[in-house]
Amino acid sequence: MKSFEWTNPKTINEAVKLLSVAAPPADIDEAPRPLAGGQDLLTTMKDYTSRPARIVNLKNIPGLNRITLTARGLNIGARVTLTELEEHPGVRKSFPGLAEAARSIATPQIRNLGTVGGNLCQRPRCWYFRLEEVICLKKGGTECYAASGENKYNAIIAGGPSFIVHPSDLAPVLLALGARVTVTGAKGRRVIPLDKFFTLPSDGNIRRENVLENDEIITEISVPASPLAAHSTYLKFKERESLDFAMAAVAAAIQLAPNKTVRAARIVLGGVAPIPWRVPAAENYLTGKTLTPDVLAEAGKIALADARPLEKNAYKVPLTQTLVRRAVAKAAGV
Amino acid sequence: MQQQAQPSPSPKPKKKIRVPRVVNGVEQMVEIEVDEDSGPGWGPNDKHRLLNQRITRVDGPLKAAGAARYTHDQRLPGMLYARILRCPHGHARVTKLDTDAASKIPGVKAFIQAPLTELRFAGAPVVAVAATTPEIAGDALRAIKVTYEVLPHVVHAAYAIKPEAPKVVAEENNLQEKGKNGDPTKVEAAFATADEIVEAEYTSPRIHHACLETHGMVVDYRGGDSATIYASTQGTFTIPGDAAKELGLKESNVVSSVEHMGGGFGSKFGIGTEGMLACRLSKQTKAPVKMMLTRYDEFVMAGNRSAAWQKLKAGVKRDGTIVALQARQYRLGGIGQGSQAGQPFIYTMGDTYREIYALHTNEDSAIAMRAPGYPQASFAAESLVDELAHKIKMDPLEFRKKNLRDQVYHRQLDRGAREIGWSRRNPVAGGNPGPLKRGIGCAVGIWGGGGNNQCKVDVTISRDGSVVVAVGTQDLGTGTRTYMRAIVAEEFGLGIKDVKEQIGNSKLGGANPSGGSTTAPSLSPSVKDAAIKTRLLMAQRVAPLLGNAKPEEVAFADAKVSANGKSMTWREACASLPAAGITGHGEWRSDLQARGVHGVCFAEVEVDVETGFVKPIKMVHVQDGGLPLNRLTFESQINGGMIQSLGMALYEERVMDAQLGMQLNPGFGDYKLPGTLEMPEMVPIIDDDDKREAVIGVAEGCNIPAVGALANAVFNACGVRVRDLPITPDKILMGLMNTSTSRA
Repeated sequence: MKSFEWTNPKTINEAVKLLSVAAPPADIDEAPRPLAGGQDLLTTMKDYTSRPARIVNLKNIPGLNRITLTARGLNIGARVTLTELEEHPGVRKSFPGLAEAARSIATPQIRNLGTVGGNLCQRPRCWYFRLEEVICLKKGGTECYAASGENKYNAIIAGGPSFIVHPSDLAPVLLALGARVTVTGAKGRRVIPLDKFFTLPSDGNIRRENVLENDEIITEISVPASPLAAHSTYLKFKERESLDFAMAAVAAAIQLAPNKTVRAARIVLGGVAPIPWRVPAAENYLTGKTLTPDVLAEAGKIALADARPLEKNAYKVPLTQTLVRRAVAKAAGV
Repeated sequence: MQQQAQPSPSPKPKKKIRVPRVVNGVEQMVEIEVDEDSGPGWGPNDKHRLLNQRITRVDGPLKAAGAARYTHDQRLPGMLYARILRCPHGHARVTKLDTDAASKIPGVKAFIQAPLTELRFAGAPVVAVAATTPEIAGDALRAIKVTYEVLPHVVHAAYAIKPEAPKVVAEENNLQEKGKNGDPTKVEAAFATADEIVEAEYTSPRIHHACLETHGMVVDYRGGDSATIYASTQGTFTIPGDAAKELGLKESNVVSSVEHMGGGFGSKFGIGTEGMLACRLSKQTKAPVKMMLTRYDEFVMAGNRSAAWQKLKAGVKRDGTIVALQARQYRLGGIGQGSQAGQPFIYTMGDTYREIYALHTNEDSAIAMRAPGYPQASFAAESLVDELAHKIKMDPLEFRKKNLRDQVYHRQLDRGAREIGWSRRNPVAGGNPGPLKRGIGCAVGIWGGGGNNQCKVDVTISRDGSVVVAVGTQDLGTGTRTYMRAIVAEEFGLGIKDVKEQIGNSKLGGANPSGGSTTAPSLSPSVKDAAIKTRLLMAQRVAPLLGNAKPEEVAFADAKVSANGKSMTWREACASLPAAGITGHGEWRSDLQARGVHGVCFAEVEVDVETGFVKPIKMVHVQDGGLPLNRLTFESQINGGMIQSLGMALYEERVMDAQLGMQLNPGFGDYKLPGTLEMPEMVPIIDDDDKREAVIGVAEGCNIPAVGALANAVFNACGVRVRDLPITPDKILMGLMNTSTSRA
């Protein structure tokens, strides 16, 4: 990796100052970067995808590693590790989909270091993006090589001009449960609903996957208490169980009425679009219905109605339909 | 007192035999002369005290504790770190190389340009740099300015075969005919007699050795007239000659050291391009140079298993007799020749005709990898056989027996069938109810595994009772150290811990490179021979102290030496030795080894037909191998073969981009090796019905049939025949969609 300056702030404000540079670098990938677990950042530095002049270590800032569960909901410090989230008894009981998503990530070693904030801020896994020699659209180039290249793992929904898929496993569940992200930057503190946090390549900065400014740090993720949360699940399909990103994934939360019809539904797809992809049409379809096999299958079809597969990823459509069906059934306990 | 003759130079009758010799990891048969009469043998396989038992490997604790020293661990005073700049284009010429900026970086010491004028694959070495830290070397690479003349490239075989495709080598066809066998007219006639015909194409991608220790070496040269090379290699003796040439030294003044090495699988012979560049950097700087490839380098330039494309057509009679085979086989070796065993591989298929071609692409040369050419040929042949059986609605196990002449396979197939529970197998492909469908498949394998006469072993007993067995060979993780001790310890009635081994140094006795599963059958006879001769020397020494016994009457057991009812402890006996101790020298004996192994593999999988996910449930592999030196290692070899095959069958594939001409997955994130969660229940079975009292190499034999067994299990489970490896969920899902469309 490129050599860099290592800094050790003790407070958030100090960290934000270290991230704010008077003259922003010509290349956004050379801007200072915050480091929590470093599990993704270091890999991007090793392949020169990011070349930060300064690393701002967040590990010495107190108060960022707490999980707080109250009647109002769940507050997760940005530096909480994936293992801590996965093993937290309150999370497992009241937000099971979140614990399942945490457990689906990478390997135990990576989960021991990787953090919740870092998981939301991961860079894409697209192999064109990750190769040092390839300057693709997301690295300031002019072409998305995946569009007509080896696109087995790329987007089938909302792709273009870049066809990345978002790699976060936590994001689909958090989005399904209406989470908000608290960030602090040079201009102060703001709270961003997660559905406004991620950006599509077509409408955001093509070099980034979310709305964070270079000087902003996620400090907390909050998930409101809701009847849905306890009936949430995350189904992730990996080509290789031991260590892999999602080929497709579905976060579902289903609340049933006493007569077993669906009172409320949330369905978010992972691994198929450049952002975690909520499918309100499928949610609306399910509301008020009894979950028969036919209804589940129809929900799967509706959820994938907007899919426009590339040459080598048409399989993702039936795969994701299956996952929708199974995730909804599992969340509803039917 | 009657003195037994020394193991002597009296002329013995000779005979000529053909043995395998490994050159660059590939076996070649050569004729050598050996003694016609044989000495004492191993004895019956079930009468050993240490051999054919389960011995934990003697280097295990060192490795588990991280104390074993690999080439990667070498850190010498004043050592420089080398890195290689690689061509980012599939085909290019360097028109300008500017190292000015790079050479101004503090700590950068030297550059050496790679000797290639035309770069024929992305990843080809352009220039090497040596610096005081690996990080500075990395910075230097990125500061070098290279101007390329970019030439057209082709990386996919389907395009390379077309007349309009760019030429990998100018003026030469990408497609090169390598041989034709059989009579096509006869085959056509035989097809006319067939009741059913199957015609299919099978492809397997380029896959990687994935050695945990990357290729490389530390060249310890500081000027002067000698050097030591620490190398991660499969051939201690493949290093000094080439290194000496590069360093301008006498070969006898260059020593190679291979204490422990982290995996080769056929990819590590000789110093390689990286070793050549390391030597030149060391020569130029007069400083030790460490050149270990990065993981990226390892993927793009350290070799790979040849990809394969096979077009097969076979005819079968309704009674299960295969009557004809026509094969068009393409070896896809990149810029190299590739490898692929000829069809019909193991089966008897009546009249056969095959054409073999090398089809070149702009990729680094395929090199030897565990049973070169065999897993590819086996996958195609075993799939074809299964398809034929399916076509005539015959049980594929019975069908195999009908077309396999060698009765050893029949025995092994019956054994494996019992172990996997073949009777549970659903006779209708995809016929089990529900979305999670189980299926079972099987396949057979073959290998040589004979030895040759390159190993020279010394066994030395000292007056203090210590025993050392020494030879320059290397232990690839195959348990060489352990069986060397066991053979000697058994001969002397000692324990494993009473013998020490010295290996991995070119100053010790010569040894063959470890390729073609030739190490154990080459080395163990020489060790045994040295142990027998040393035992005789010892017996002659102590016989007078045991009531003037005859030397051949002296027994060695339970750490005691005895005869005539008299007994001495091992220590007492050794105290009678001369001050320098005694040393016996061992040479290879052809009668202590053999050639030719058989194996069968059965696999059970579960396919989720709604996601395409394949879960390996159970694998059984039955393997013969003459005398198992160490049952634990033998079983590990079988397990290792199953695991590597599992990777080839279900997960591994080098992915190349047609436009960029480069590999897209040069790392362990995107190049998917099977991990712990992919492991099925594995049942390694040593075929003890093989009564040959001879050592045979088994590693590669264990690595052949499982791919076909898994592919056939997937078909049996879900009814989708995936002919293009690896068998990934996308292919199964698309196959199921096509099947249901065609049914509807």
